[in-house]
Amino acid sequence: MMFEDRKWLPIILISPVNALLALLIALPSVYIIWLSLNQSTFGSETTFVGLANYAQIFSDPIFWRSTINTFIVVNVVVYTELALALPLALALNTDFVGKGLVFSILIAPYAVTEVSAVVMWRYLFETDIGMFNMLLQSFAGFQLNWVRNPAHGLTLISILSIWIHLPFTLIILYSAISTVPVDMKNAARVEGATEWQVFRTVTMRFIMPAVLVALMFRYIFATRLFAEAWLLTEGGPARLTEVLGIYLYRAAFRYHDFGAAAATGLAMQMLSLLVASFYLYQLYKRMQADG
Amino acid sequence: MDDRYVILVGRWVVLTLGVFWSAFPIFMVVSSSFKTHLDIFAVPPKFIFQPTFDNYVLLFREWPQFLDGLVNSMIITVGATVLTAITSLLAGYAYSRFHSRLLTLSAFFMILVRMLPPIVVTIPLFPAVNAMGLSDTHAILILLYAAFFVSLATWILKTFIDQIPRELEEAAEVEGSSVWQRLVRVVLPLSVHGMVAACVFVVVFAWNEYVFALIFTSNEAKTAPLILAEISGAIEGVQWGILFAAASVQLLPILAFVLLVQKFIVTGITAGAVKG
Repeated sequence: MMFEDRKWLPIILISPVNALLALLIALPSVYIIWLSLNQSTFGSETTFVGLANYAQIFSDPIFWRSTINTFIVVNVVVYTELALALPLALALNTDFVGKGLVFSILIAPYAVTEVSAVVMWRYLFETDIGMFNMLLQSFAGFQLNWVRNPAHGLTLISILSIWIHLPFTLIILYSAISTVPVDMKNAARVEGATEWQVFRTVTMRFIMPAVLVALMFRYIFATRLFAEAWLLTEGGPARLTEVLGIYLYRAAFRYHDFGAAAATGLAMQMLSLLVASFYLYQLYKRMQADG
Repeated sequence: MDDRYVILVGRWVVLTLGVFWSAFPIFMVVSSSFKTHLDIFAVPPKFIFQPTFDNYVLLFREWPQFLDGLVNSMIITVGATVLTAITSLLAGYAYSRFHSRLLTLSAFFMILVRMLPPIVVTIPLFPAVNAMGLSDTHAILILLYAAFFVSLATWILKTFIDQIPRELEEAAEVEGSSVWQRLVRVVLPLSVHGMVAACVFVVVFAWNEYVFALIFTSNEAKTAPLILAEISGAIEGVQWGILFAAASVQLLPILAFVLLVQKFIVTGITAGAVKG
């Protein structure tokens, strides 16, 4: 009885979580492979077409444009976040009056839905009346014409994305920096290191693993980019600001071409797993070692 | 000039810019929701003005469905949170107290699944959800939102339960209580902080989510962000005030919540990022 208990109990306990994951994420994610080899509308009444869907999307210039746009936006977003979060995290790594309030304000964008974030930044960059566009006009002589100019559209999409997700990167870096032992920094100072040298040789070395983890998570999450871009430009003008998420959404829910959407989806999955593979491999080895 | 002076000034500059960057867009939209349409795009911007509630009155008069959206969002957020909390507590307990090859494998499976992009699963799920009659229901969004956050929540709860001494449970075991009783009477009361840390993320996600709501709801179960996007799409000329009012109503409760539980957010993101 007791033995039976020990054997089956953990499996019973983990089954609700694993059922949710398997039915709603894992199985659909695998089923995509089959769907991508078929032609179907609304994902039903499938006809096997082999690799035709891949031939279709790979010969579609808009697919490649979406891929390049995604690549550019993701890299700009991820590295700009890192460049902004690192000085902020360093600046927060001390006690001062009002620190709690400052920290609260810095993570506030985490609470904002993409829909409202788009409203906020549209307000600031509305053509001819938005405050930031007016400032740009008077100081730089041009406006961010995100409705008509694809490069400007992608710029505003990137700004929005950075704004929403900076709190995540900031929190990871801030936690990592606060665990750097003060003794080690002081020891370096005693030996005559400048603050810059202390940062480079002690702090940076200590937080490097956290920086890499933050980068990986942000790469994976940034590749999912959809709502900000869809709500701001719907991929326009002329589908020139589309990202992979929008390409997939259009294929599936506007053109009802579920085969092409599935092929795009599989490409997105492979991309995410590729980025995560090194981390997953390390984690797997460690879990094996822990038993 | 010595290092300490440079650092002091640098810190002040960096934090001021950071605070401005984070707060200004929120501040502008919330404050402008109390402005008349003439003041909203006034040049130079007005920071001192006579507040008006007209936009809020107009919002609920012209967009009564926004209220339904808020109610739907509330139901779905509570549902997804409760489902995440219960299932993750059970699983977190199992991963903390038992060890086997199968458990290690399934823990790895949980982390792997978290890396998959959510929008992709909508393609095969869409026909299945329609066939099961789950389209445009609260249930489908509750299930989906929970599914995408149970792995993080389980992991956070496991770390918290690891710190509850087994002796407490063993004492209860001697008294002849079942594992379910021990879970409810011993583990649950001691992992309240863990539950909060595990649930904050699904609360924020469910309240704000857009993509799943766009694809799986059409009428009855539409959430507040979706109606907000509709208001935004329908805005003509001078109606920005209504949009700002709607954005503020949707934002302020969740912003208050995030600021209230920010310590747990830091704990959760750190634990989730380090361990998956």
